[in-house]
Amino acid sequence: MTRHDNNSHDNRRDNKSDQLTSPQESLQIYRAMQRGLSRRDAMKLLGAAGVLAMGVGGVPGLSPAFAAEGEASPQRGGRIRVAAHSSSTKDSLDPAQGSTAIDYCRAYMFYNGLTQFDPDLRPQPCLAESFETTDNGSHWIFVLRQGVTFHDGKALTPQDVIYSIMRHKEPAVGSKVLSMVEQIESIRALDQRRVEFNLSSPNIELPSILAVSHLVIVADGTQDFSKGNGTGAFRCQEFSPGVRSVGVRNENYWREGYPYLDAIEMVGISDESSRVNALLSGDVQMINNLSGNFAERIKQSDNGLLKATNSGNYTDLVMRFDQQPTSRPAFREAMKCLFDREQIKRVALRGYGEIANDQPIAPGTPYYFDGLPQREYDPERAASLLKQAGVAGATVPLVASPAANYSEDMAVLLQQSAAAAGLKLNINRVPADGYWSNHWMKHPLGFGNINPRPTANILLSQFFLSSAAWNESGWKNAHFDQLVVAARGEPDEAKRKQMYADMQTLIHDEGGIGIPVFLSDLEGYDSRIGGMDRTVPLGSFMGYLFAEYVWWKG
Amino acid sequence: MNSLKTMPHPKANTPQRLRHGSHLPVGAPRRRNRRRLQLTRWIGLGVFGFWILVALFGPLLAPHPMGAFVSDQMFGGISAAYPLGTDYMGRDMLSRILTGARYTVGLALVAACLSSLIGAGFGMLSVLLPKWLEESVRRVFDTLISIPSKMMALVMVSAFGASIPLLITATVLSYAPGAFRIAHSLATNLATMEYVQVAHTRGEGRLYIAAREIFPNMIQSVLTDMGMRFVFIVLLLSGMSFLGLGVQPPAADLGSLVRENIGGLSQGAIAVIAPALAIGTLTIGANLLIDSLSTSRATQKE
Amino acid sequence: MRNTLFGLVAGRLGASLLTLFLVSLVIFAITSLLPGDTAQQILGQFATPEQVAALRAQLGLNQPAIVRYWHWLSGFVTGDLGQSASNGMAVAQLINDRLPNSLILAGITTLVSVPIAITMGVVAAMRRGGLIDRLLNLVTLSMVAVPEFLVATLAVLIFAVKLNWLPALSYVSTVDSLGDAMKIYAMPVLTLCCVLIAQMARMTRAALIDQLDSPYVEMAQLKGVPPIRRVMRHALPNAVGPIANAVALSLSYLLGGVIIVETIFNYPGIASLMVDAVSNRDLSLVQACAMLFCGTYLVLVMLADICAILSNPRLRNR
Repeated sequence: MTRHDNNSHDNRRDNKSDQLTSPQESLQIYRAMQRGLSRRDAMKLLGAAGVLAMGVGGVPGLSPAFAAEGEASPQRGGRIRVAAHSSSTKDSLDPAQGSTAIDYCRAYMFYNGLTQFDPDLRPQPCLAESFETTDNGSHWIFVLRQGVTFHDGKALTPQDVIYSIMRHKEPAVGSKVLSMVEQIESIRALDQRRVEFNLSSPNIELPSILAVSHLVIVADGTQDFSKGNGTGAFRCQEFSPGVRSVGVRNENYWREGYPYLDAIEMVGISDESSRVNALLSGDVQMINNLSGNFAERIKQSDNGLLKATNSGNYTDLVMRFDQQPTSRPAFREAMKCLFDREQIKRVALRGYGEIANDQPIAPGTPYYFDGLPQREYDPERAASLLKQAGVAGATVPLVASPAANYSEDMAVLLQQSAAAAGLKLNINRVPADGYWSNHWMKHPLGFGNINPRPTANILLSQFFLSSAAWNESGWKNAHFDQLVVAARGEPDEAKRKQMYADMQTLIHDEGGIGIPVFLSDLEGYDSRIGGMDRTVPLGSFMGYLFAEYVWWKG
Repeated sequence: MNSLKTMPHPKANTPQRLRHGSHLPVGAPRRRNRRRLQLTRWIGLGVFGFWILVALFGPLLAPHPMGAFVSDQMFGGISAAYPLGTDYMGRDMLSRILTGARYTVGLALVAACLSSLIGAGFGMLSVLLPKWLEESVRRVFDTLISIPSKMMALVMVSAFGASIPLLITATVLSYAPGAFRIAHSLATNLATMEYVQVAHTRGEGRLYIAAREIFPNMIQSVLTDMGMRFVFIVLLLSGMSFLGLGVQPPAADLGSLVRENIGGLSQGAIAVIAPALAIGTLTIGANLLIDSLSTSRATQKE
Repeated sequence: MRNTLFGLVAGRLGASLLTLFLVSLVIFAITSLLPGDTAQQILGQFATPEQVAALRAQLGLNQPAIVRYWHWLSGFVTGDLGQSASNGMAVAQLINDRLPNSLILAGITTLVSVPIAITMGVVAAMRRGGLIDRLLNLVTLSMVAVPEFLVATLAVLIFAVKLNWLPALSYVSTVDSLGDAMKIYAMPVLTLCCVLIAQMARMTRAALIDQLDSPYVEMAQLKGVPPIRRVMRHALPNAVGPIANAVALSLSYLLGGVIIVETIFNYPGIASLMVDAVSNRDLSLVQACAMLFCGTYLVLVMLADICAILSNPRLRNR
């Protein structure tokens, strides 16, 4: 029986400790870990980011931002402009169709979910005041918060919840999270405040699923989403797809004291160097999706600060089981040995990432299995494996694209290390345009890019289950499939952990994907923005939830 | 004045003499200019020749393979080991430019010549064709010019895959219509001149009129236009590589070298300045050479 | 002469309609050839086959190509540009939001670049081979030889980031005064001028030199006509055709070709609308933009031809 009460939604913690960066302080964290602090908690001490870069100028070792931020309490008022990395006429205020960071941010600005992620990615009550399951995850009851109104004045009712969730099951809605919603068999209103979710199979992670930006609550019957009529902290004042949107403070917001800002303008700037220049010239106050090259520039600037978050985003080498030569186990193993992971992290990511081990669960997340031996760069072993696979000295095409972050750089690095093992890789760079529908998972050797998912189970279900539509390599393993489904309904934490460890081992040993590194999310922001030490490791802009948590120091 | 004098003109004496009559001694300034033109020509020839040599032999001279990661320093400055610094991944910039120049020079040269040849050829001939045929040719080129080159590039790469001949085709399709436009308007003007009319009445064939009467009189503009097209094509190539149509990594043309290192601009990295300078000298050299070529044709006649 | 001009314009309009029709056919064919359709592009990386099928049915993509084309064409002819497939907004509305921005940018750039370019070309032609000529030559060449994105990025770096004189992004929505407008347009216009001036100036020079070398101008020189008058009265009128065409070609670039400038300065114009439309396979939006670019181009070249005809009496009888 899981039960959450309603006052835990306030996630602003005392963040003084989050700013520790000096060597002594690192030592303290180290000792704390020795004392039994979990790795996860230590990450939190470090601001979950691991890295929190400060601007230069000021007392050495103690940046002015730190000194100010430590004491300053949030201020109300102010207007900021936020630039996301992509924006097009496809932008939509229909949460079901959200496809990039700017859509997700707007969904959380204008709407609320039943639940909401906290900095540990635990689902906390939001529009639902509380939630519980009576039978280990098949039936869930959500109690709605009272007195919540939409921007147009309509009160929140169970009908809104039913409409908001069930519409995702209509194929024509074009929902991006259909695969997550399919397990919800039905929803019914028990009374004026309570709704019951019935699942086709137990899933103890339902509250996490309901926290994603696509599943926020819209008003019953909404067809035209251009007004952004939700219950969120900001009202939509202007929205023109591909140009900009303006949200102004919702004076009737149900959460007392929030938001701090008067208004947020959101724009998209696709060119990375323009985005950085706009931040440094003061035209925008927050930017996302930076590469390591530009991160250094922000670090060295006077008015910009850098935030790096390890959230488990990865770009992976996809080796198809149904094509040659990637169907040969020795070849796949050889490719995994050809990743010089240290070099990829250093050269392509400029250090902003974590070494990965060919399985998708990132270090620091709840089910990460640290007993798995790290696969090392080993060209000799790769050479003998290639011989074993009968492809020594062969030429193999490798497809890369700007669509998959860093894949071109990784391809070039892989090409170099493959040459050392006598394998010639021909890089075939294809346009980002149409990459996901025409190239991804279609070539024997190509790249994919997977954004963080809220839970390990969602990730594994969507990308590794034999029957998954996006089973990237076409890997099929009955034992693994059983584990994924069983883990959803397993109430015992220790057993569940062991299941996830087994799954990670299976993917690491047999899977058809190579994950060399996890990419850090890099963001830049104006040093006058407060509240940025809160981190939700699910994506940029505080897991897209920044809008009501930041303030302007003026 | 035109260059007819340099071309023997057996049949048509009258118009030639007519223009000879009007060919009058020109004052001192032009003679003084000739020496300068010579200088420009030598500079143009020198610079352009240099790049031709780099294109031919550059890869042999490169100290490192263009894809090798030789340094741990990204955007490294000028040093003895790396005379043009290192790029955003720590590769030797000198080697990359020496290898990349081949793509830029070769592709742009071929594409610019083809565009001008096709564009100017049709532009010139269409004037002499029957009205309806001329109109059809114009419609075709007008249609071509109205198709966004990005769309053209995307559809070609998806239909035929990426290859160098395809890249040239896409480039020519984008730039020939412009050349046609200019050449056509020049030729239309010239076709109304007396000497062309006279040639018509003399019963000369269309090809003869085009080659002997019209072409020599529009060569200056056509060449200038080709010089500009060369510049545009050099710059276009980097955009095409970006779409996956162009040169495949780890190789890169000069424009792509600028683009991929643009992050180093704020710190004044040599990795972005060097290829930009390379593009600058290459295109300016080519245009100076073209200028002096066309002008020297004019001065030869004296 | 009025009759001939009228006839020409009428003939040209007819030909233009034909060209527009051809372009719409080709664009339709290309959009259909491009891999992936609207449904796939909208649903993105994680689409399921059922969703794609449902969305296709909803958008009418299951109909044969010829039916879809006819549907679009009949709408277009009656002035209905259709709806954007990617966000359901009316195409006319989307274009209406962006076109004024593009026209303002194009207008300002034209006002700045054309006089500069023609003056440069005329001066260079008059001082052919002289110091000024060579200097202008080098300046125009250097301007065009630097990649557009480098000029723009460098300008932002200097004027916005280092000096803080100008905004890094050009937001039309924040314009209150003439000063604001100048600040916003300074860098985009500067960048575009770098691209355009060279072509126009050099073609002006070349066309003028062709004329200055001709017998009748030499005759005028002998008669003692001063150089400025020789150029203005004798050479320029005959060079108007090629010059006007070069200008028209350059200006037609200002609507659809300014994607780099729109991207770097985040200027909401029509070129980025088209690029979005292409990557979303948003057929009616692509078609509308293409018709717009093509129409503009045809109008510009028609104006150029009219200029040529007005300046060369002999052409009028053709």
